[in-house]
Amino acid sequence: MGVSVLKPGLATTVQDTGRPGYYNVGIPPSGSLDQYSSLAANMLVGNGDDAAVLECTYMGPELRFDQPATVAVAGADLPPLLNGEPRPTWESFAVGAGDVLSFGFLRSGARAYLAVSGGFDVPVALGSRSTYALGALGGHRGRALAAGDELPIGPAGGAAPRRAVPEALRRNHPKHREIRVMMGLYDHRLTDSARRAFLETEWRLTPVADRTGFRYRGAELEFRDRDAPFGAGSDPSNIVDAPYPIGSIQIPGGVEPIVLHRDAVSGGGYVMVGTVISADMDDVGQSAPNITTRFTEVDLDGALRARHERAARLDALREAVG
Amino acid sequence: MVSVRGRAARHSFGGDDHIYVELDEEMNLSANFKVMAITSTIGDRGIDGVIDICPANASYQVRFDPDAIEPRQLLAELESIEAEVGDGTGFDLRTTVVEVPVLYNDPWTRETLMRFRSHHQNPDGTDLEYAARINGFDSVEGFVAAHSGSPWFTSMVGFVAGLPFLFQMVPRERQLEVPKYLTPRTDTPRQTIGHGGCFGCVYSVRGAGGYQMFGITPAPIYDPTQTHPDFEDFLVFFKPGYIAKFEPIDRDGYDELTAQVEAREFRFKQAPVEFSLGGFLADPDGYNRGLMEALDGS
Amino acid sequence: MSVDIRSPLPGVFYRRPSPGSEPFVDVGSAVEPGTVVAIVEVMKQFFEVPAGTEGKIATVAVADAEMVDAGQVLFTVLPW
Repeated sequence: MGVSVLKPGLATTVQDTGRPGYYNVGIPPSGSLDQYSSLAANMLVGNGDDAAVLECTYMGPELRFDQPATVAVAGADLPPLLNGEPRPTWESFAVGAGDVLSFGFLRSGARAYLAVSGGFDVPVALGSRSTYALGALGGHRGRALAAGDELPIGPAGGAAPRRAVPEALRRNHPKHREIRVMMGLYDHRLTDSARRAFLETEWRLTPVADRTGFRYRGAELEFRDRDAPFGAGSDPSNIVDAPYPIGSIQIPGGVEPIVLHRDAVSGGGYVMVGTVISADMDDVGQSAPNITTRFTEVDLDGALRARHERAARLDALREAVG
Repeated sequence: MVSVRGRAARHSFGGDDHIYVELDEEMNLSANFKVMAITSTIGDRGIDGVIDICPANASYQVRFDPDAIEPRQLLAELESIEAEVGDGTGFDLRTTVVEVPVLYNDPWTRETLMRFRSHHQNPDGTDLEYAARINGFDSVEGFVAAHSGSPWFTSMVGFVAGLPFLFQMVPRERQLEVPKYLTPRTDTPRQTIGHGGCFGCVYSVRGAGGYQMFGITPAPIYDPTQTHPDFEDFLVFFKPGYIAKFEPIDRDGYDELTAQVEAREFRFKQAPVEFSLGGFLADPDGYNRGLMEALDGS
Repeated sequence: MSVDIRSPLPGVFYRRPSPGSEPFVDVGSAVEPGTVVAIVEVMKQFFEVPAGTEGKIATVAVADAEMVDAGQVLFTVLPW
């Protein structure tokens, strides 16, 4: 009983709200990169917030349901097909035993979240079902799905009524994004003009964008000269290996900034010049290659206001759907 | 005697949910020990809203929930803990000294390093030959003797799950230094003994890497399945502050230990110790002999 | 009436299996639904794009090594 994977998609993983508390030994939080959409999908099928969903990146899987269930897809505009027939996103719908769920081409965004009533019931590892593939931890056997996998479904709380997220509370995925950052960490190591250029450049996301980090292209940035401190590498973008905040932005060699996400490497020897604020991490997670991005600077109070606005939006979602 | 360095800490918010603290721009054991003392104290305090406390080589980071604690209030609390800890010399670290068996110049890292010769400063030799030469040793054997002759302090665990950064516990003029590869490799065998800059490491998982490769240990250090005896309680072996001693083994020794690992019978030789920075700095070689006696008495 | 072959993924579009080799298809090539017509690279993975239709390649809509969006037209095909 559960779900059989006929085709795995490109990088489909089991995720939930994540695995906090182990970053000190190099195990990142993991979890859905777009938490808002992941939570919305769970609400649509009547699950609690911590139920595990499938994160489908760029290309959806093809799944056969071996039992009836209520499902919902939220996040990227990746159109679901039930036995080949179109079904809506941001709305729950019923599937029967033997039904096949597949997906059309991605229209916008990067990651769609598939929730099923009862949740995907893989074993809990260090308090979470999230997949951390680099460490072969959590999820389904510590890796992305493969054809032939069978995923168990947990007990559902009863037949969920059909629900939809109101239009105003759905995410949309523009081709250009403004991502808010708090500058700091080692931004003093950039020259004044490089710091300005970082904030003024229209960056383009490269295809090197996965759960670990998102790499952008657009300008070369210069670091101030310095005598390398003992233990730091010789390149001016090197530091003595240090912890990396989730969302921090490093620029190895002054080219191609990388925003670390929820499967971050926990530390390393590259200068970080700032950090994406917590409220905008979902937007980074929905960025697909080729979209343009400008990093705009906010201060701590601005970041906290944005965080409260995001929380208010989640409350409204709960009010409307949960 | 090496002096204890005093230097003002530098604090920065990493977004609205991290505080990043640099205690020193350069690597030294004093800064690292201060990191250990401060981060243990933060952990003991049990501050509401703190999610992760990450000690690193000469810096540390706290990840927190800004809905549970106001960021500036947490910053003030960290600053007061730093002031209390001072230079850390009053702090005794309860930790573990452990022996790590190493097959130097093994066939697996050798095969890997040969595949990535175009990424290396010294395409005509091995990583060990290069490291021995630039550190002024006449032979690889001399380099291996220095590498395995003194213990290493686990100054940070991370990059990927369970990977220890190791800092050699000898005065700076005797520390081995080797630059990283010119461009990173896309492959490194699991449990490779690596070296980059002044840091040693043990690769916990197979994957990309830029450190020089000197050998391999048969001992697992990360076990997500938690089926090896040393991993009953936790899937990561090395904790920040652990002290490691490399023990050279030959191929027969490697095969024997590998059989033990496969039978789920291998256990690290290890002993609990209290580490005092003041005691170490006063007489590094004498202090290290004491650590080795604790290990051999285990 | 021509039929479009679209990219199932965002990423980098490659017309050749490796640099220096012949393109998978060119204008005039005959394709069947399973014919590989291009590779799209994303997240260090290389995904083979099948024609999904049969006929003759009429146009190549994207230059080699250019970034494409998911759903972007890569080729048009004239059905037999």
